[in-house]
Amino acid sequence: MNEENTPTVPLPERSATVREHAVLNENRAWAVAIAGWLVPGLGHALQRMWGRAVVVFVAVGLLVVAGTSLRGNVFTSNGNDAFDSLGYIADLGTGSFYFLARAMEGAGADVSHAGGDYGTRFLATAGVLNLLAALHAFEAARGRKA
Amino acid sequence: MNYTSLFQFTHFQAFLFFAAVISVAFGFLGRRQPKDRIKYILWCFLLFLVVGIGIAWAMYPFSK
Repeated sequence: MNEENTPTVPLPERSATVREHAVLNENRAWAVAIAGWLVPGLGHALQRMWGRAVVVFVAVGLLVVAGTSLRGNVFTSNGNDAFDSLGYIADLGTGSFYFLARAMEGAGADVSHAGGDYGTRFLATAGVLNLLAALHAFEAARGRKA
Repeated sequence: MNYTSLFQFTHFQAFLFFAAVISVAFGFLGRRQPKDRIKYILWCFLLFLVVGIGIAWAMYPFSK
């Protein structure tokens, strides 16, 4: 065997290093995903994907502000049925923006008009969109998608 | 501040707003190159319009 092709690090040690690197990368990907969920766009910003970070932040923010100003329903954990619980999960998808929506809905929800109903959908869509963006950031951090 | 006055939409304006925001987000998340993004944003926006208006017309006979 040619000496130049001989690995400088013994094989078992090298595979251990690769495993450690993979675990670190996996932990980093989870941290990116959680950051992206908590603050819309942060998962992409941590990976220097500035355009995506700004667009996710603005899109989720616009939907939350529009949904709240149209007096959509910001669901709480005290739901009466499965739809309320699903709505709560979707709304929680916006991360920290959920608390912004709760703070903004001073007058409460009014779904007796079409605007209020649209607002409810905007808020749920903001949450699902943010979860999708966090998943995208997670996959990008794992090197599977860019 | 009265947040309820920030956004006031008609049905069609709400529909356009939703389609535009989601299309831009999909375009940036789904494509990497600027040219591809613009094409994808326009394609998504067009599909939102066609499908939304199509469903509205399909439901029209049952609205009365």
